[in-house]
Amino acid sequence: MILQLIGFTLRAMVPITLTATGEIIGETAGLFNIGLEGILLISAFAGALGAKAGGPIVGLLVGMGVGAMVSLVFAVINTYWKGTQMVTGIGINLFAIGFVEFGLIRLGIPGYYAIPDRFHLAKLNTPFGLLSPVIFIALALPFIVYWLLKWTRAGLMLKATGQAPEAADVAGINVNRIRLLASVLGGALAGLGGAYMSVAWFGFMTKGMSAGRGFIALATVVFSGLNPLLALVGGLLFGFFRSLASWVGTMPGIPIPGEFLDMIPYVVTLLVVSGVIGRVRFPKSLGKPYIRE
Amino acid sequence: MSERTQGTFQSRLLRGAHRTLTGLHPALESVLAAVVGLLIGALAMWLWGYDPWGAYATMLKGAFGNGWGLSDSAALATPLILTALTFSICLRAGMFNIGAEGQVLIGGLAVITAGYFSLPPGLHHIVALVFAMIAGAIWSIGPALLKLTRGVHEVISTIMFNWLAHFLVLFMIGNVVVNPQSADQSIQIPSTAWFPKLVRGTDLTYALFVSIAFALIIYFILWHTAVGYEVRAAGLNPTAARYGGIKNKRTMLLSFLLGGISAGLAATMIILGSSPNHAMFRGHGQLTNVGFDGMAVAMVGRNHPIGILISAMFFGGLTAGGRLMQLGTSRVPVEMVRLVMGVIVLTMSIPELVRVFPSIKKQTTELVKSLKKLVGSERRRGSA
Amino acid sequence: MSKSSTLPRDNGYFLRAEDITKIYSDGTVAVRDVTVEIHSHEVVGLLGENGAGKTTLTKILSGLLPPTRGQVTSPRGTVRFSSPREALDFGIGMVHQHFALVGTFTAAENVALSHERPFKRIQLARAREKLEALMEGSGLHVPLDVPVEKLAVGEQQRVEILKVLSRNVDLLILDEPTSVLTPLEVNDLFELLRQLRDTDKSIILITHKLKEVQSITDRIVVLRHGELVGDVKTSEATTERLARLMVGQALEEEADAVELSDEEIPSHKERREVDRSGEGVLHVADLTAKGNTGEIAVEGVSFDVYGGEIFGIAGVEGNGQTELVESLTGLRVPIKGTATINGTNILGKDPREIYRLGVAHIPEDRWELGLVLPFTLAENAILGVHRWEEFRGPLSFLRWGKINQHVRKLMERFEIQATGPSAPAKSLSGGNQQKLIVGRELAKDPAIIVAAQPTRGLDIGAAHYIRQTLLEMRDNGRATLLVSADLDEVLALSDRMAIMYEGKFMTVCSPADLDRETVGMLMGGVTAKEAT
Repeated sequence: MILQLIGFTLRAMVPITLTATGEIIGETAGLFNIGLEGILLISAFAGALGAKAGGPIVGLLVGMGVGAMVSLVFAVINTYWKGTQMVTGIGINLFAIGFVEFGLIRLGIPGYYAIPDRFHLAKLNTPFGLLSPVIFIALALPFIVYWLLKWTRAGLMLKATGQAPEAADVAGINVNRIRLLASVLGGALAGLGGAYMSVAWFGFMTKGMSAGRGFIALATVVFSGLNPLLALVGGLLFGFFRSLASWVGTMPGIPIPGEFLDMIPYVVTLLVVSGVIGRVRFPKSLGKPYIRE
Repeated sequence: MSERTQGTFQSRLLRGAHRTLTGLHPALESVLAAVVGLLIGALAMWLWGYDPWGAYATMLKGAFGNGWGLSDSAALATPLILTALTFSICLRAGMFNIGAEGQVLIGGLAVITAGYFSLPPGLHHIVALVFAMIAGAIWSIGPALLKLTRGVHEVISTIMFNWLAHFLVLFMIGNVVVNPQSADQSIQIPSTAWFPKLVRGTDLTYALFVSIAFALIIYFILWHTAVGYEVRAAGLNPTAARYGGIKNKRTMLLSFLLGGISAGLAATMIILGSSPNHAMFRGHGQLTNVGFDGMAVAMVGRNHPIGILISAMFFGGLTAGGRLMQLGTSRVPVEMVRLVMGVIVLTMSIPELVRVFPSIKKQTTELVKSLKKLVGSERRRGSA
Repeated sequence: MSKSSTLPRDNGYFLRAEDITKIYSDGTVAVRDVTVEIHSHEVVGLLGENGAGKTTLTKILSGLLPPTRGQVTSPRGTVRFSSPREALDFGIGMVHQHFALVGTFTAAENVALSHERPFKRIQLARAREKLEALMEGSGLHVPLDVPVEKLAVGEQQRVEILKVLSRNVDLLILDEPTSVLTPLEVNDLFELLRQLRDTDKSIILITHKLKEVQSITDRIVVLRHGELVGDVKTSEATTERLARLMVGQALEEEADAVELSDEEIPSHKERREVDRSGEGVLHVADLTAKGNTGEIAVEGVSFDVYGGEIFGIAGVEGNGQTELVESLTGLRVPIKGTATINGTNILGKDPREIYRLGVAHIPEDRWELGLVLPFTLAENAILGVHRWEEFRGPLSFLRWGKINQHVRKLMERFEIQATGPSAPAKSLSGGNQQKLIVGRELAKDPAIIVAAQPTRGLDIGAAHYIRQTLLEMRDNGRATLLVSADLDEVLALSDRMAIMYEGKFMTVCSPADLDRETVGMLMGGVTAKEAT
């Protein structure tokens, strides 16, 4: 029973952790992307299509690519073209909903698209149940990103770009380019998270697949204080409550209606962002475009 | 000061151009964004194998081509006006309230609850409206309070509240306000609370006037009362607002309150007005996405009540026309409209849109230059 | 039309700008037909009012902004760079007015940031060694391992300079470097600049302060409205001539107004007898307040301001003046002390109540605090008084008719140049914006005027006007509290003054009682005892 819970937790953690880690990179550089929800959705869809076309690995790569591309659009608008990040994010979300709905209808059944088994990513049989290899990537990545941010020159540059773009500019860092790269990288990670959902976890695609995970990832980023290790913790927390909810649902005799169990992850997210301990330091230039005086 | 700007013909020309563009700016940007959105929509259609121009022709006919179309467009615009106002009022106060979706749902529940009473028409309408306004306000104040007391970012909290509303409504419709004749629906509102039709045979009801009236009320509040002045000041410059003795917390709460009221009203417009069943569905039916679409309407309408009226008509037309498009020869699914909306919003997030096009050319040249550098040729061009 | 340089050509020049013109995309001509040379071994002062084009010209000279016409050449190569880093590689380094430092990084990290090529591992140890050597050589000392945001402003500026020096620049450009320094620190800085000049470097000092520019430079270049109107040897320049060049064929008064030296204290001081018995209109006792970082910013300040006088507070910005003003205007709650207006307490009250008690507040930052820039003139004119009966009708409706009338009267009385009450505030020049604020505040018929940095960033005409207005108010019997980092202004306008340093009043006296040197020392924290 515990083992199964752990297994579910690990499976559910992946999209959150991957997306949150990617967004941490972006926010360290000063970009706040609320279009993550849309990116998750659209890369899940793209991943499904890619898997059908060329197999599971292709599906995952396509998902990453699409995520990166959408982030590229976001980044270009908000760095070189000095746009409003919030509005762009909302636009991405709207666009993704429309695009995915539209695409699903085009492909056959509105709202649903099944990926044949042979195109799923093979799962490993473990004592925790069937686990996808992507889970291990999601477990390792936060550590890698943490090291990157703390110990390398690239991390220093990212932080400078987010904290004091003028100083970074004077130091020869191309602020817009760094932000662009950071955002694209973040988008690729979110794209992986999205494709994972359709190709390596559920095995199908629905129009509501993202289910608010993009925003939960944003909440996780706030909770993490831009520390990727805490993003991992956040993702596991979310996964745990998700698994708890479905586990309680399967138990007979407990009178809690399913809908309230479904609410749990969202309530937990609210509690997490409300009860954040300590002060969160956001890069000072978060949300503002850099204009060289 | 005039010394500096006289003289060179070049400078006079530039000044004139700049002034024209700046004056036209807001409307121009919206129109430009709409055009870009439609073009990209056409691209998507073409990529997926549809005929864009035929589709758009049908869409235009369906939206504004005749009396039916106009009525349907206006009917669809009615709730959009209100959800757009939700977003805009809060934006004017400096907040991002994207919880209209959930506030509409909770408002809808309140309307359904009002359906349990037997009241004469007129009174029944008022009771339903009041219930919905209160419910929407409550669901909106929640995130506002979280922001005030715990500093929770309103984007995250309103989205979470949206999802909570989603599940709450599912539960309520399935178990509490369930329609004995149809498990997927709530009970129906009795006809004493329906809005009478404005144009027979269409969805257009007197609800339209309620929407327009509310928009005008909001306009007056924001631009002609001291309270509205404080809201706008706090949104534009909270520090100066403080200096001016404005309590920013109060303005924020007020804006969320008004926004929630607006969303609740939107639910009434739909359930008592355009919806044929006058009930709520488990799948949310006609209430779905009206919150998010409202945001697009708000932005294209430049967050001004008058602009929103026009913009809502445009988006209403898009959807009405889209429905016809779906049935017509081109058979493009109506979801295409949301795709176009998303692109329009994306485009609107680019400031100084008119300046972007020369900038694209410049960026491409710079990109080519840096690519050349990468490859190794470091010859500098041009004079210094 | 173009005034050519007074120095012969081909004389070991480092940089030459010929017929530079810059027209921005909205039609503004920022710089027009400027020709100037910068040589090694010299300190050039770039003098001009706000908006004269100094910053634009400097950007063009350092290669970061392309001129619309003309060119900048150097025997070393083309002067056209796409980033400040390239300019540094070439040998041109700029120290900005608002430092380009990463607050959370230490001084060592900040300097390292400008060195390392991308994607090499950070070599902090080596960077430190070089930095320490540099500090010895230049005499600039800063703590190396403290996050820069915790350093004093003077130290931060030193980090900026070190950053630039560590790249071995040959041309050092400083943009208004002394506005944040005490007189003692200014002396240290100028010593350093002389040293650098003697080692063959070129220095451009951008400033609007006449006295300064005469004390440190070899040559002065004057800009007015984007044109080069003077290029003179410092030894041949007089204050009057420079002032005249800066403001042009303006009225005599304006030129006189430029320099408020202690020899020129306006003669209309103390025309009225001020009754200083009892408490003042504003009475402050033992006021203590914390700043934003939790440290004590104002400590035990006590003073009175009486009707009919101007009480000035001098001091370099950042010594608690802001927090003091905020405590008296409802923007900050002090932790100790009392303050009353005509007997009524004002501490802890919100701004609107305080305005009702007769306080007018001309804030130190007109953009952040005093105006809502996207609002129209009319909307800004009622900020703070928007709930007063004359402007507000029943149901909280605003009486736009009355408000517009009021604004037009203000525009006339204070000569505010704008297209009308519905012009957006951001379309006004700085001077007109400030006049709008002053007009708005004075229209309250206040008992006391709190003016914080009222002439900062204004052109000479507007600054003069504001000062005249304050003097008028004084002659009308009002009380005025003037807080200004412009020492000359405080000395010239105040009847009594205090010098603020690290939250405390160093002394309270009449300006006539102090000589400039003592003032300078007090501003720098040297107490009266130590000063002898």
